[in-house]
Amino acid sequence: MIKINSLSKEYVMGDNKLLAINNVDVLIKEGEFVSVMGSSGSGKSTLMNIIGCLDTPSSGDYFFKDNNISSLNSNKLAELRNKEIGFVFQNFNLLPRLNALENVVLPLLYSGKNSKERNKLALNALESVGLKDRTHHRPNQLSGGQQQRVSIARAIAGTPKLILADEPTGALDSTTSLEIMKIINELNSKGITIILVTHEDDIAKHASRIIKMKDGKIIEDKKNVSN
Amino acid sequence: MSLTDLIYLSQKSLRSNILRSVLTSLGIIIGVSSVITMISIGTGARQEVEEQIERFGSNNLIVRSQSSSSRGVSMGANSVNTLTLKDMEALKEELPAISAIAPRVSLSTQIVANGNNWLTSVTGTTNDHFNLSNWNFELGRKFQEDELNKGSRVAVIGKTVQKNLFGTDSPIDEVIRINKVPFTIIGLLEAKGGTVWADLDDTIVVPLKTAKQRLVGKKFPGDQIRSMTINVSSTELLFKTEKDIDTVMRKLHKISANGNPDFVIRNYAQFLNARQESSRVMSILLATVAGISLIVGGIGIMNIMLVTVTERTKEIGVCMSVGAKKRDILLQFLIESLMISLIGGCIGIALGLGVIFGVSEYFNWKMSLDYISLVLSFVFSSSIGIIFGFYPARKAANLNPIDALRYE
Repeated sequence: MIKINSLSKEYVMGDNKLLAINNVDVLIKEGEFVSVMGSSGSGKSTLMNIIGCLDTPSSGDYFFKDNNISSLNSNKLAELRNKEIGFVFQNFNLLPRLNALENVVLPLLYSGKNSKERNKLALNALESVGLKDRTHHRPNQLSGGQQQRVSIARAIAGTPKLILADEPTGALDSTTSLEIMKIINELNSKGITIILVTHEDDIAKHASRIIKMKDGKIIEDKKNVSN
Repeated sequence: MSLTDLIYLSQKSLRSNILRSVLTSLGIIIGVSSVITMISIGTGARQEVEEQIERFGSNNLIVRSQSSSSRGVSMGANSVNTLTLKDMEALKEELPAISAIAPRVSLSTQIVANGNNWLTSVTGTTNDHFNLSNWNFELGRKFQEDELNKGSRVAVIGKTVQKNLFGTDSPIDEVIRINKVPFTIIGLLEAKGGTVWADLDDTIVVPLKTAKQRLVGKKFPGDQIRSMTINVSSTELLFKTEKDIDTVMRKLHKISANGNPDFVIRNYAQFLNARQESSRVMSILLATVAGISLIVGGIGIMNIMLVTVTERTKEIGVCMSVGAKKRDILLQFLIESLMISLIGGCIGIALGLGVIFGVSEYFNWKMSLDYISLVLSFVFSSSIGIIFGFYPARKAANLNPIDALRYE
């Protein structure tokens, strides 16, 4: 599903060049659950942003489902994010003015589905994360765990093949974190590919494969036997 | 993304900060209300001028006697009648552009009829008077040829005279006494209404010859007359004919080109133009206010939209991460600024209507409101919204998804 060949990402900050990703090769198959670990500045988030088509590499190739991403324009990338990829962020990134249902509907608005279909898909997604009774609450009326569940519902509403979760439990307590990880595990068991960025071993161990990064390079890539 | 969805999202974000939205549209509100007021003052003034031309008769010049002070002695404004019927004939002869001339003698006097008294002005003239000044008959008829030639005691009265002497009864065939001389009423003129300076319907018209023989013989001896209304065949010839009349009259009265004339030529068009000019100045003033406030309003919108884009950078990033294309972001912000300016436009229209109503009530100005000015206001305010909203919207749409998402 994801094929990355000798990919590098360079940031220019004034006179300094920062190599966030240094010549990385990765192959991720469909249905895998991969944790990307590393300390801050290791390049794990940058790698995920590139995989999520939010950022572009400085050099190297990235193939998503055999499409060369560097050849796509911004509209095609937006379409790819809309149809194939779902994001779960550490800070939930819900729109404060919209209620839970409207937040989940948002990606479906951009995909041009009609309102009946939209509402059905969004309600299904909210139901699958156990928030069917909170559809008209605004983010500030929901707890952190509930907000993260809304954001997961938003990520899966468009039935994507890939979920990218960037520290999804980073802002949650340990009990809530477990609930969220349970949902993510369920998604993976339904065949959705998961890439999870974290620096917590407890969270990473939910994955079937753990990639460790340091200074922009992959230093370890192994099956998670404990799972 | 459909338009209704875009509008829904836009109104959500506008409503989240109502005070800001209203303050932002203030410039548009002032601008649009000025545009509406300006246009209605302009069209109102034009219509009033057209109506007055209609009432007085278009293409008319009036030549009036004026005491000449060329010999160093002023005889007083109304004491000398320097115009004669000979002048009238000569003008008709010399200037083919003149299509008709109505001579006029007049006096102000007491009228008695039906046991009532009324002070009014009596005009002695010919049938041309009715034609040139656009008088229509509500009842009865004009003078007949033999009535004019013989000097019959017949009279045509205006609406105000009828009201004061006969009430609503038909005055036809009734007898009125003008200066104790009995006259038979043969016609009643249609009402023209008042102007700022006179009630046009307060009039009695008798044949010129009758007036000279029975009413004003001492005042207008021989063939002297007070004034003449001259109709020019076309508007284009109006000003040229005015000059020609001056030349011919000076020749007839043996007055040199730079001497003081013993007559004066009045041109209604000139008078009305002056009136139109003053409302034009008013319009220009308002147009300036409107223009400036629309531009300032537009800049206000641009300013606030730029602030909004910065404030919502992260939100834009979120929308992009779930699949918003550049076009979606551009349209959403454009629609927001369009909505601000359109709402401002609507409030401005309401305010403008209020101003128009107030001004026409208190100053008794004629103001006319047509749908064109409403359409124009909508077009104005929406184009301001789009023009000044475009730059911020494009700035939002061109954000890099990851930079926008990371923005704190």
